[in-house]
Amino acid sequence: MIKINGLSKSYGKNEVLKNISMEFLKGKAYGIVGENGAGKTTLFRCIAGLESYNGEIISDITPLKNHLGLLLTDPFFFSKITGKEYIRLLCNARGKTNLEFESKNIFDLPLNQYASTYSTGMKKKLAITAILLQENEYYILDEPFNGVDIQSNIILTEIILKLKELKKVVLISSHIFSTLSDTCDEIHLLRKGEQIKSVQKSEFKHLEQEMKEITIGNRIERLGLK
Amino acid sequence: MKGYFNLQYVMTNRKINEAGLNPLLGYLLALTAFVLLSEYIFYKTEFAKYLVILTCLSLQFKLSEKNRTDFLLSTFGDESKMKIRVLENFILCIPFVSILLCKSFLFEAIILFLCSIILALFSFHSNFNLTIPTPFSKRPFEFSTGFRKTFLIFPIAYALTVIAINVDNLNLGIFAFLLVFLTSLSYYFKPEQEYYIWVHAETPKVFLKNKVFNASKNVILLAIPILFSLLIFYPSEFELILIFFLIGLLFLWTVILAKYSAYPDEMNIPEGIMIAFSLYFPPLLLAIIPFFYLKSINKLKYLLND
Repeated sequence: MIKINGLSKSYGKNEVLKNISMEFLKGKAYGIVGENGAGKTTLFRCIAGLESYNGEIISDITPLKNHLGLLLTDPFFFSKITGKEYIRLLCNARGKTNLEFESKNIFDLPLNQYASTYSTGMKKKLAITAILLQENEYYILDEPFNGVDIQSNIILTEIILKLKELKKVVLISSHIFSTLSDTCDEIHLLRKGEQIKSVQKSEFKHLEQEMKEITIGNRIERLGLK
Repeated sequence: MKGYFNLQYVMTNRKINEAGLNPLLGYLLALTAFVLLSEYIFYKTEFAKYLVILTCLSLQFKLSEKNRTDFLLSTFGDESKMKIRVLENFILCIPFVSILLCKSFLFEAIILFLCSIILALFSFHSNFNLTIPTPFSKRPFEFSTGFRKTFLIFPIAYALTVIAINVDNLNLGIFAFLLVFLTSLSYYFKPEQEYYIWVHAETPKVFLKNKVFNASKNVILLAIPILFSLLIFYPSEFELILIFFLIGLLFLWTVILAKYSAYPDEMNIPEGIMIAFSLYFPPLLLAIIPFFYLKSINKLKYLLND
């Protein structure tokens, strides 16, 4: 369980998260949606302890960060590190050694090649593989479906469902609504750092329609395409 | 084309400013350091002219990197790209050619100049798909990635040791020894992205202990062929060789701790000055190492649980 109470975050005078309160329970997946700059990544960084903040974040297993698998939007790779070494680095950092890589390479990545030579999607799959092999209790997946091919998206969806089955807590941000409706139990909508609403699975369709209307508005007309 | 070079100039000034220096002073310092280092190399070894040529060409090789030249081609077109590349290599080779001319190596200077111009006509892939094997694969990342970037240094250092023993020049042997340490130090100059620290389920103390321990273990592995060779062939200089070995290790620890003491920023002037002073007076390391250690612990607290 992760519980957030009255979380606020500012960069100077710019308040990017305003009094956020959420609770994430074991065995459930939560979607965080909102436009670019709504505060999703900052919220994730606060939960991970990568940012200072006002408010409270508590978890049933402490310290939270030592049991958290964090997938960043754009994972960084050293220029001469192989896929295998990257996984080993992340697993060693969590005390997981003697891993059998080959059988767990579910995305069939060329693990002996430099990760920097991978395509965007392959890099994301490598980062996902590494945090899964860390065997965490909590997962934050920031845009996990971006740049990943459709077959891997299907695998990824199944992985999230499996994590729920294993009683893990999963937080996902995505701009592809269908992936969230397939996996999440609850979705939180952020706008300009504020928690606009939280909806349960039964209301996802309505939320999607509402977001579409707000997002599109009269923007297409404004373009004046001819 | 003029805009391109203006932009390069502005970007260079920015980098010097970020290091806390006035750009003019930065250029002066760089020039002074270049001249002093060249003088030192020419004083120390007869192979200095080759080192000068190799250094210049390796820098130009980086400028010929395929992605970079493709960008120049798509932005400026074929003719301007060629002019830019020739001019870049020309500017870069000036100090190296000048130093060769000052030392009366006219033939080598002409060769370097011609090679520089010819090199500008080619592009090279720097990201070969070939994965260079490393003995440090089990404990990524500094030594595994660093070794792959600098692996050519090590056969050179070992060859210098063999030459040193053949010509009975202990200084050259010590130089080869220090080359291994300096190369290893360079793996720790740049701060890694915060994720690679955050991901460790360790306290700052354990994290630093592991970093220092692994670095020491790895550098010993690389330096041991030179260490043993020198000890076997110069048993009477046993103490001197071991002192250099110890100082090398202490500097390695200093640089690791200095890196994290400045984290998330890069090491800057204050750390540089302290390290420079301790180069002249190594016992200073005994004070500097605990200072950097305590500062590092503080800096790492926000990423690691205490």
